[in-house]
Amino acid sequence: MNSTIRTENLSKRFGRTVAVDSISLAVPEGSIYALVGANGAGKTTLIKLLMNILRPNAGQAQVLGIDSAKLTGSAFNRIGYVSENQELPDGMTVGAMLDYFRAFYPNWDRALEDQLVRQFELPLKRKLKDLSRGMKMKASFASSLAYRPSLVILDEPFSGLDPLVRDELIEGLIERAPETTIFLSSHDLAEIESFSSHVGYLQAGRLLFSEEMTTLANRFRDVTITLTAPSALPANLPASWLDPQTADCVLHFVQTNFNEDSPRELAERFPSARDIACEPMTLRQIFLSIAKSSRGSQISRINKTSGQEKEA
Amino acid sequence: MKQILHIFLKDARRFWPEILVSLALVAALVRLYPRQFLAPDFMPVPFWTHVLSDGLMGFLSQALVVLVPLSWWLLISRIIHAERLVGTNQFWLTRPYDWKKLLGAKALFLIAFLYLPIFVAQMLLLAEAGFHPLSYLPGLFNNLLLITGILVLPLVALSALTPTFAKMTLVLLGVILLTAGIALLVSNMATNTTGSVGGSLGDGLSFVVLLSCCLAVIVLQYSLRRTGLSWWLMAAAPILLFALAVFDPDQAMMNRTYPRPASGAAAPVQLRYAPDATHAPAMTNYTREAKELEINVPLLVSGVADGDLAILDAVQVTIDAPDGFHWASPWQVIYNNRLLPSTDKSSVNFIIRREVYDRLKSTPVTFHLAFAVSNAKVESVNQIPLPKQDFFVPEFGVCAPHFSSPPGGQPEIISINCRAALHQPGLTYVSMLWSDAPCPDSQSELSTGVLGAAWAGSLDEDLADFGITSVWETPLNFSNRFGDYRQGMLHMHQICPGSPVTFTRYITTRRTQTDLTLQNFHLPELSIGNRSIMLSK
Repeated sequence: MNSTIRTENLSKRFGRTVAVDSISLAVPEGSIYALVGANGAGKTTLIKLLMNILRPNAGQAQVLGIDSAKLTGSAFNRIGYVSENQELPDGMTVGAMLDYFRAFYPNWDRALEDQLVRQFELPLKRKLKDLSRGMKMKASFASSLAYRPSLVILDEPFSGLDPLVRDELIEGLIERAPETTIFLSSHDLAEIESFSSHVGYLQAGRLLFSEEMTTLANRFRDVTITLTAPSALPANLPASWLDPQTADCVLHFVQTNFNEDSPRELAERFPSARDIACEPMTLRQIFLSIAKSSRGSQISRINKTSGQEKEA
Repeated sequence: MKQILHIFLKDARRFWPEILVSLALVAALVRLYPRQFLAPDFMPVPFWTHVLSDGLMGFLSQALVVLVPLSWWLLISRIIHAERLVGTNQFWLTRPYDWKKLLGAKALFLIAFLYLPIFVAQMLLLAEAGFHPLSYLPGLFNNLLLITGILVLPLVALSALTPTFAKMTLVLLGVILLTAGIALLVSNMATNTTGSVGGSLGDGLSFVVLLSCCLAVIVLQYSLRRTGLSWWLMAAAPILLFALAVFDPDQAMMNRTYPRPASGAAAPVQLRYAPDATHAPAMTNYTREAKELEINVPLLVSGVADGDLAILDAVQVTIDAPDGFHWASPWQVIYNNRLLPSTDKSSVNFIIRREVYDRLKSTPVTFHLAFAVSNAKVESVNQIPLPKQDFFVPEFGVCAPHFSSPPGGQPEIISINCRAALHQPGLTYVSMLWSDAPCPDSQSELSTGVLGAAWAGSLDEDLADFGITSVWETPLNFSNRFGDYRQGMLHMHQICPGSPVTFTRYITTRRTQTDLTLQNFHLPELSIGNRSIMLSK
């Protein structure tokens, strides 16, 4: 599958602070790619590098086949960009802003614009500076979707919005999904789990993994092994077991490379186990376990490439 | 072009209040500024009327010369910051803006709402002052170029480097303080080190440096938004200007601009050192701590041919002491030292270092003065009987008699006010006869009186001098204006209507050097604060 976005060892420093650390990722065409990570993880910096708003210190990125450093002018005819921090021409009314932007895009779809205005209930005659944050975001969405871009990049688009507005925006996005690639950053895992097809996890400027959502969900399992007698934490546990803990007869960990052979392998490893439970995990649970592990310096245990790592 | 117009129209719609303010100020300038040079018919008015009308309007017309550029400052900041170049959150960064078209739209805005109004205003002012505007089109465009380089581009560059009007204002204040500091520094070290002779090469290079740095910053910011690099470029401008002020390129060019006359060729003017009882060399200093001292040397002048004029433009001083000590000054500018055929005495002032003086004050030294001299000849003479209203002087400008009314008396002409288009006129010697007595009715009785003479203009004429207005007032400060005391009051002469006023215009014929060497010269005693102590050789 073609990649709409591809980066190779992309890095960005601000003084001595490394904001983006040698990131290589590929965003497949037609995907809804969610870039997640805590505040300050480097999501916005990565997006600004992709949009040629910032210049990388090393590495390179291709966006729609164009070197991101050369992304200017007409290249933005095919890219929609919405950011929580983006400044809009506040002195204009919503209608004037749409009129103004319309002339820049040869592919501007007036019917789609009308549909988005109706869908988002945009007040065309009100000035942008007088709008609520949610309404401003809707106006920004409408002005970035009306020309049917091939790629929509959203930087924390739902941050601070009430659930109703959030649902409206997600609905508007999903309607565009068949014809466009969507790349969005968020630290709200619940909201992206429902509609993202791919996910990347950024922590302290480093991309811990980047893969399809289904693959991720399939390879992470919350494993609970009930032993016949109390036992200490075994030595030489595999690197792909995160946050292993024991309590009485119970051993608990998160397996990051679960596959169809895993139950058998676990049974062989713990022949005296009374019960082995491997429960699927939500995205939130997965990231919490990763975050906890990384705090315990277990980042190396996380398998980026879904199960290719051999257990020790 | 479509995108340029689109952005231009957006800016025009958004910034109409700022546009309106700027246009109103330019319109007021056209309406009020002519009060500066139009001679009103003399009409005694009550004091308060005078204060309210003439005083206030006069102040306002002068203030407009400052207010118009201030309105441009606001206008430029507004339109550049509408798509600001500093920051990472601007909406336009991720829209299909072509930077060349964005820059083109801003240029179109400035053409429409800054250049066009001031161009029309300058044409109207010329017409109001009695000049035909279409005859001065090259000069008008030249003035627009100067306005661009000195005002508009620096303001655009500063706007391109700052995110908001407030920050731009702070930076601008910093630039003004920096410029003042540099000027102070240069003025303190000018004669100490190399000095400036104020030639056209240094001025031209300074203009080019300012223009180039601003253009580079603007293009760099619009094309790549490299704010850090652009700041370095912008900082290079004052550094280079400072270097040009200190290491004046005109100094190095003096021997080419003013070549030594070929052997056997006549000197441009004969100068001899001639102290006498009333005119001796003097050494002055305004404070005891000063590092520089000014020396005045009296001169005898001869050799200026009839119809010619010699101007001492600059002097370079070389001192050699018997013990082998040698000191040479840079070229120092001499102001207003014009020598006519009738001039027999003059003097020249120049600066020497205090340490040099202290070392040599008790030793006879060899003093060598090299003078840079401009020779000029009469280009045209226009003699005009002074009318009671405006009159045109070919190749000079438009002049008008200036009336004053003594208490209880009739209005008298006490001066002549002149104005020129776009720059000061060419160097012109203006002469007429003051009258002591009431003006006679008959034209034939006007041929007696006290000579009043004044110099106006300059030998170096450009197409235009930098100015917000296109009309330059040319003051004529006539000599012998005051007569004797009568009844305890200083009596002022008057110029009678119909009295012939002669405008003699000069043009440069050559620039050369001439030397004067003073052997066994004793530096005069130092006089603090005045020149009362004089010593002869």
